[in-house]
Amino acid sequence: MELFLEQLPIVIRSLNVGFLQTLKLFFVTLIGACPLGLIIALGSMSRFRPLSFVTKTFVWIIRGTPLMIQLLIIYYFPGLVLKNPIWGSGETGRFVAASVAFIINYACYFSEIYRGGIQGVPVGQEEAGLVLGMTKSQIFFKITLLQMIKRIVPPMSNEIITLVKDTSLARIIALQEIIWAGQAFLKGSQGISGAIWPLFFTAFYYLLCTGLLTILFGRIEDKLSYFK
Amino acid sequence: MKKRLAFLLAAGMVLSLTACGTSTDKTTDSDAEQTDMAYVQEKGTLVVGITDFAPMDYKDDDGEWVGFDADMAKAFAEELGVEIEFVEIDWDNKVMELDGKTIDCVWNGMTLTDEVTSAMECSNAYCNNAQIVIVPVDVADQYQDVDSLSGLTFAVEAGSAGKEEVDALGLKYTEVKAQSDALMEVKAGTSDAAVIDSLMAAAMVGEGTGYADLTYTVGLSSEEYGVGFRKGSDLAAALNDFFAKSYADGSMLEIAEQYGVQAAIIEQ
Repeated sequence: MELFLEQLPIVIRSLNVGFLQTLKLFFVTLIGACPLGLIIALGSMSRFRPLSFVTKTFVWIIRGTPLMIQLLIIYYFPGLVLKNPIWGSGETGRFVAASVAFIINYACYFSEIYRGGIQGVPVGQEEAGLVLGMTKSQIFFKITLLQMIKRIVPPMSNEIITLVKDTSLARIIALQEIIWAGQAFLKGSQGISGAIWPLFFTAFYYLLCTGLLTILFGRIEDKLSYFK
Repeated sequence: MKKRLAFLLAAGMVLSLTACGTSTDKTTDSDAEQTDMAYVQEKGTLVVGITDFAPMDYKDDDGEWVGFDADMAKAFAEELGVEIEFVEIDWDNKVMELDGKTIDCVWNGMTLTDEVTSAMECSNAYCNNAQIVIVPVDVADQYQDVDSLSGLTFAVEAGSAGKEEVDALGLKYTEVKAQSDALMEVKAGTSDAAVIDSLMAAAMVGEGTGYADLTYTVGLSSEEYGVGFRKGSDLAAALNDFFAKSYADGSMLEIAEQYGVQAAIIEQ
């Protein structure tokens, strides 16, 4: 017990640093993937066949391969094959590479949610817009998109909660997120070695974060329950 | 609206492709015939791939990397006239990190196994180590020789020298990601025993450590530590010269004494 109390502040400090990295990756991915997902969704719904074909193939590749492999490819491929290690070796480079991999991966998942949301808006809504003399872009932004947003909240919250936990995959390219920080004490770090509990303790951080997100999305859903 | 967007997207993709093309061409020209030493000196930094591994590489209270390997690496970088940067890597990806030039060497108590020597340009061995068996203290007296180990299930680090040993002895084993995971397996009772480095065991197992209820018994093999560079790199030879020099003037042993590994140092 005494040993535990002695270790606690050191471990918490180290886990906080790791969790900050986890949160950074989470928010950067969210900020990047939300708009990119919409662009991909529009691309895959395009009536211009080559574009929708290319986009759908891209989504298939990204959704069809493990994110872990994508992280390895994005981080190591430039140096191994193109002989140009564009990301550099430091922590920043690893973070940027991880962000790119996560944004692309999550944008593809988001795009399918968006597509479902857009196509789920009844055709009558678009027709009503036309009758009112609205332009195509007015219809899209003021009618379709508006109604899509409330439809996609439950599947998006699902995906975003998954994202919180998926950030732990970035440790494969040695991004020092919270699992990495917890595992460091197993092997020995800052004078603590063979401590198993910090690794399991990381679960509370994830729980706290996903708990807050669950409440937040519940509120958003309530706010958006108009048009009923 | 959609068509216009489609066109923009297509144009964007083409642009990004050409951007990639030009940037790669530039660098392949410049490092076509460059030696690895010239490459490191030109960029001015020796990037050392490590893991948190006391007493070879670990962080002191100020957050600076220290340890026998870390201090030797700093001295070597000074000799080359470059800055040093330590980067924590995933040990499984060390060869990829080297070949992808995200690090310049692996200097982290690395056992010179066939796997390592065939994938990297290695320096001369500088430190002795042994693979030893870890078991819980209360059953330790039953497992004091190699013959007694046959019924046990072992946990070993994937790709480690310890794994090669249990393989050669025909023992039952499970591969885990790190030596520390192997210790956790024994502590949790999911494996009966583990095989890890003696230098690490000295620091992590026994009284006063997190694994006070584990102990080490049989030594399976002895082995040597070396430093790994990219295949074909001229830095390995430069490091051998540096080792010889610092062994001769006593500075190598001086550093080793600071970290309690002087008995394991190999004459250069």
